[in-house]
Amino acid sequence: MEDYQEQEYEFLRRLEEDKIDRGKLLKRGLAAGAGLSIFSLSDVALATRQRVLQEPPLLGRSVSVAELIAEAKKEGRLNVIALPRNWANYGEVLDTFTRKYKIPITSDNPDGSSAQENQAVRSLKGDPRAPDVLDVGPSFAIDGANEGLYAKHFTRNFKKVPRVMKDGRGFWVADYYGAISFGVNTAVVSNVPRSFQDLLKPEYKNKVALNGSPLTSGSAVAGVFAAALANGGSLNDIGPGIDFFAKLKDVGNFIPIAANPQTIASGQTAITFDWDYLNLAYVKEFPSARIRVIAPSDGLYAAYYCQAINATAPHPWAARLWQEFLYSDQGQLLWIKGYSHTALYDDLAKRKAIPKALLNTLPKYSKAPKFASRAQLTAARAKIATDWPKRVGS
Amino acid sequence: MRRRIAPGAVVWLLIGVAYLLIPLVATAIYSLKSNQTGTCCTLENYGEIIHDPAFWKSFRISFVLALETIVIGLVLLVPTVYWVNLKLPRLRPVIGFLALIPFVVPPIVLVVGLLDVFRDTPDWFYAKPYGFLAAAYVILAFPYIYFSLDAGFRAIDVHTLTEASLSLGATWRTTLGRVIIPNIRAAALAGALLTFAIVMGEYTIASLATFDTFPVYIQDVNQNRGFPASALVLLSFGITWAAMIAIVLVGRGSGQASGAQVGGAR
Amino acid sequence: MDNLPRPAEAGRGRRLSLVWLGTLPFFAYAFLFLFLPAGQVLVGAFKDVDGGFTLENLRTLFDEPYRTGFKNSIEISLVTALVGGLLGFLIAYSAIREGTPRFIRSALITFAAVAANFGGIPLAFAFVATLGTIGVLTQFMANLGWNPYDHGFTLFGKTGIELAYLYFQFPLMVIVISPAIDGLRREWREAAASLGASSYQFWRHVGVPILMPSLLAAVILLFGNSFAAYATAYGLTAGFVNLVPVQIGFYLSGDVLDDPHLGQALAVGMFVVLAVMMLLYIPLQRRASRWAR
Repeated sequence: MEDYQEQEYEFLRRLEEDKIDRGKLLKRGLAAGAGLSIFSLSDVALATRQRVLQEPPLLGRSVSVAELIAEAKKEGRLNVIALPRNWANYGEVLDTFTRKYKIPITSDNPDGSSAQENQAVRSLKGDPRAPDVLDVGPSFAIDGANEGLYAKHFTRNFKKVPRVMKDGRGFWVADYYGAISFGVNTAVVSNVPRSFQDLLKPEYKNKVALNGSPLTSGSAVAGVFAAALANGGSLNDIGPGIDFFAKLKDVGNFIPIAANPQTIASGQTAITFDWDYLNLAYVKEFPSARIRVIAPSDGLYAAYYCQAINATAPHPWAARLWQEFLYSDQGQLLWIKGYSHTALYDDLAKRKAIPKALLNTLPKYSKAPKFASRAQLTAARAKIATDWPKRVGS
Repeated sequence: MRRRIAPGAVVWLLIGVAYLLIPLVATAIYSLKSNQTGTCCTLENYGEIIHDPAFWKSFRISFVLALETIVIGLVLLVPTVYWVNLKLPRLRPVIGFLALIPFVVPPIVLVVGLLDVFRDTPDWFYAKPYGFLAAAYVILAFPYIYFSLDAGFRAIDVHTLTEASLSLGATWRTTLGRVIIPNIRAAALAGALLTFAIVMGEYTIASLATFDTFPVYIQDVNQNRGFPASALVLLSFGITWAAMIAIVLVGRGSGQASGAQVGGAR
Repeated sequence: MDNLPRPAEAGRGRRLSLVWLGTLPFFAYAFLFLFLPAGQVLVGAFKDVDGGFTLENLRTLFDEPYRTGFKNSIEISLVTALVGGLLGFLIAYSAIREGTPRFIRSALITFAAVAANFGGIPLAFAFVATLGTIGVLTQFMANLGWNPYDHGFTLFGKTGIELAYLYFQFPLMVIVISPAIDGLRREWREAAASLGASSYQFWRHVGVPILMPSLLAAVILLFGNSFAAYATAYGLTAGFVNLVPVQIGFYLSGDVLDDPHLGQALAVGMFVVLAVMMLLYIPLQRRASRWAR
């Protein structure tokens, strides 16, 4: 990008973040003015502008919606990765995008993990099948940004996203979050557990399962965190969570199988730990299981996932259109329909943009759920790596 | 000569059949359960899978991929194993050793390494399942094809057959094609069947290289849908078995499938 | 065949080089698609996070939980290889032997080929549906008064994994050993019978010695197959039973553990185990084929 453009964008960005004082404002205003007056000579401006449009913009606002859609349509496709259709209503999100902009989407490896998404960016660099956009866990988003896997982009609504949920440099933005909940198959279990303490009762023998091993699945780690919060631990100490699962295994209530839709529908895993937006989706998907979703009363842990654009995306304009769509009201409401709390939820609620019926389906939190920071996650993982196989494994 | 089946044989065959069928029957019971009520009996799960275009598309890709892998694997290994058995018997344990390597290289490592090495190859190889993925699958199938062929070559007298054929004036090609191959037909067929099953079941490499093969589709259904997953298991079992029977019938083609032993003083 | 003296060959040097050329296509392919990625694993195992040389990764393999991982993997692989091998052999022989209708063999071989690669979550769920806490067979046995879960059995542990692995191990044995059983001419069995030998004597002096090389090779294949399998074990026990391939998966493509070099070191450890197996196999094999012409 041209130097003056870099300065202009940097100026606008810092202005948003109120990091700029009057003196600097005036100086930069003069510089921008000088640059703009020279380059606004018509034919120079036209040539520059045309050259600029070859590359997608840094700021979503700097091109019009029509231009963005036109350039995206020229690319003709969007590659996404690791987006299961029933995860926070992604199925409808994908279909709506394709229907609205007539851009077909290739959805690869729907059950991939965040690590696999970052690896796909590395391994498939330069391949037309490489993923354009990613939805990864926060520590992978941070790693990917540091490694240079992502492109910088500020969507139109970037500044409305809470500070803690985005990367200031523009490499990633949080998309949605949910809290760890119990998904209870009431066709098998008549007395619904309400807290982690309840789970230790003998009536739940051979009924409780995680959705994977915390040695490999981020959401399973979240389950252990929630258990830690409920048993005297904290975000800095996940040990009590590991102890809880060891105890659950000793009394015979815990079955070491990874819960999946089949085991849930069949009733083999009658009580499962998972994100509330997933468990709530299962209620409709498996009517025979009469699932009830319970937010544990003694430990509420939440985490968000992050959107990012591949730095070497084969379809960069379509990728940016995708992000604009996701952070528009339409996209946000589709995610909310998937029972998740989105990044722009507070803004939408304030503007009363969420229909009452939809608002009532969302999980209500009696107290604020806790989120772990990068440092706390790293420490927790290290502890799980050493303690979990010993205490809970065999 | 006994013409009736031996009682001992009946016992073992029944045990084998029971072990293979009981889990499938249990899966079938779940596949007939309705999503609404959780009880028997409905065919809606099968309908859901059969009417899914992704099911047929991914099956077609995997099927063609499997045939391609079989052809490449056999073309590569039959002459090699023949040659080694004939001229370089000391190489046999070496190749047997090499045949164990695909077991130890985790598929994740293999695919990352392969993607790295072949990144700049032309698109017709790299971006298509029929190029890149077939190459990887031949490696995975290599131990199974090798050990099948090895068992087959041990069971025949390679030296005598070759010498007899050559002394009668046949060329190497004729010897290989019309004398040796018919005799190891059963072994080659066994290797082919195993390869087919491997390709139809391999998930890790296909998903990490983002190709949409049949196992990737199966995994997706398993992770995201309940009872239809059981229906899919049985459908995939049945359709793969039918394809295998077709291969056996083709392989039986012009000659007996059990491998007519030709000549040789035994 | 290995130990018969070879006639001296004139122009030996030139002959040999042409002979080796015949194996060129195979080795070229193996080099491109097998050695290069495998070499990466070997090299990576000795690297630390910053790229420098280290033996620390390999040393860690002797700590827990990796030691248990290797112990479990080897134990499960041995059990399923030997039991699967025996079961597979008996079933294959029953299908091929004199007196059994021909169609049984074709049906068995094709079905076995599908079963031999049935694995991962579908197989895990099939066993959960059968022997899980509310499985079909479990409920059947409970109705008869003996619930296995009340007597210490659980599907979600080592025994469960072994039962599930057998599902693909013995069919694999059936397929691999069938061509060798074909080599056991029925005339030999008849000749032995006509000389007054009993079934046991036939097997001990004729059948097993002839088949031993192939049996050994097949069992090694089964061991390797079981050792490398992980999707089924993960589907059944979600990694709660420590197994080496599962641990490798955690390190190389999981979302929690982040040390690819340790994963590569584990892979090197697997290779060492298989290499030891192979080293045991070679003298056994030589001894077994000693009597062959």
